Amino acid sequence: MTASEKTGETRTKIAIRDVSFDYVDRKTTFAALNHISLDIRDGEFLCILGSSGCGKSTLLSLLSGLNRATSGEILLDGKTVRGPGPDRAVVFQQYSLFPWLTARGNVLFAIRQSGRKYTRKEREEKAEEYLRNVELLAARDKYPGQLSGGMKQRVAVARALALESDVLLLDEPFAAIDPKLRQELQELVSSLCAKQKKTVVFVTHDIDEAILLGDRIVVMEPGRIRTEVKVDLPHPRKRDNLIGTPAYEALHQKLIAGFYAQVRENIDTEVLL
Amino acid sequence: MKRLLLDRKMYVEFGLAAVLFAANILLTIFMPYLTEHKRYYDSGAYITVLAIAFVIYVFGVHITRKKSTSDIAVVVFAFFAVWETAYKTGTVKNDLLIPSPEGLFHVFVEKPEEIWLDVLGSLQLLFWGFFLAILFGTLLGLLAGWIPRIREVLLPISNVITLIPPLMFSAYLIMVFATFREAAIAVIFFAVFWPTFQGTVARVSQIDRAVIEAARTMGVGTLGMLGKVILPYCLPGIIRSISKSLRGAFMCLTGAEMLGINLGVGYFIEKYKSFADYRCVLAGIVTVGVITTVIDILVNKAEKTLIRWEE
Repeated sequence: MTASEKTGETRTKIAIRDVSFDYVDRKTTFAALNHISLDIRDGEFLCILGSSGCGKSTLLSLLSGLNRATSGEILLDGKTVRGPGPDRAVVFQQYSLFPWLTARGNVLFAIRQSGRKYTRKEREEKAEEYLRNVELLAARDKYPGQLSGGMKQRVAVARALALESDVLLLDEPFAAIDPKLRQELQELVSSLCAKQKKTVVFVTHDIDEAILLGDRIVVMEPGRIRTEVKVDLPHPRKRDNLIGTPAYEALHQKLIAGFYAQVRENIDTEVLL
Repeated sequence: MKRLLLDRKMYVEFGLAAVLFAANILLTIFMPYLTEHKRYYDSGAYITVLAIAFVIYVFGVHITRKKSTSDIAVVVFAFFAVWETAYKTGTVKNDLLIPSPEGLFHVFVEKPEEIWLDVLGSLQLLFWGFFLAILFGTLLGLLAGWIPRIREVLLPISNVITLIPPLMFSAYLIMVFATFREAAIAVIFFAVFWPTFQGTVARVSQIDRAVIEAARTMGVGTLGMLGKVILPYCLPGIIRSISKSLRGAFMCLTGAEMLGINLGVGYFIEKYKSFADYRCVLAGIVTVGVITTVIDILVNKAEKTLIRWEE
């Protein structure tokens, strides 16, 4: 590690180096990611924006280690990622809580998996704290089957935070949640991650969500990165205060251009054919 | 709100069951034998059984609040009334094959110790065979469910084996094992082991991928995955299948006992069959029914207390 890499915010936390990923389905091979390179700085909140099928979730699964890159490599703190581990917490789009454990039990499971040496009492206190952070302390003894979709995802966020990892990966975590609640959860995640100085990779197809949360937005088109937009809006960002401001509209326009350019290109080729 | 013993709507059904119960008692005590050469047994045991049945019915109807509970009681009490009447009027010609209800239940007073010991013996065999089969069947099932290579070997083999009714090879197992105890335990073991294995494999393969992936991202290893994720996830299904396989196990056990093991309720039935004492045979059959039902109820109770989460 060089001296310049050590200094504060410019340090690279995650380095994606020329990564490709092919899905092999019987005889056909489908290149989901095509030679992607990307650096994610320590403490950065990065949003990956793209329409469905562009490979953004695949990229996240490579970061989490659930899938292995076909070629290229991913470095976390300079070390190659070889599989999943508690140094990267993940929140999935689909509900993934352990149904046999209560909300608190789920969080406690993560605390145990974090590998940190806490006493039983400390673990209990930590669990309560994380559930309080997502405003679910009252529902701590409920099983996932008794919770609404929004509550489940809040527990999933609490469980991810309870791993106490530097890196948090979120794969469209609020896509299935109604808009009002989604906004609450976005603000919650934004403030929690900022407070704990986590490096966050947040996959979404929602432009507003990306602007609201990200320090930087990477726009993807199938297989590769199209463009990158830096978001300089001050934190904390409130959706209601942001929408309609010139800075916000400018960003929005820029992203829409990037987001839909590819769709337009597709339509054009079809028309030509 | 105070809960009435009965809903008002069920008074008619309850009344009918109560009348039939009373009729049974009256028939037993006051109806004279209208035929000669009938064996007489003290009616105490039978009346006790009727009373217990009625008490169970009252509790049952209080809990279930269903008309069908009363209907069941009506059918049962009517059956006994017909049986008692048929016997006392001499409609039943062969009283050796068909005893009076008094005679049947009197067996429990005559040979309480023998029945008790045989029941205990059966339950002991059942416990060991069943316990071991559930334990190993579940462990192997978890392993095979999780590791495809093991599954692809064991599943086809188990598919062939489970096609053979367990009682078919129990005759052979009885020869193979040194003692009857071991043989009986082996019979139950093989009757329960493979179905448990197959059920567990099926449940493991149905696990939600998201749950497994979540566990993997938290750094759960293979052993932790089996013990801390897959087992608890499959536990409700495993427990639910227990009551079903328990029934099968008990059938196998009594079957095996009748084939040559000199212990247990099945042996009791077999022994008195060769003495042509069909009163005792029937009493043995009733005992099997009662035990199976009691076990069933206990397992269902355990299931409800153990499984607190539902998908």
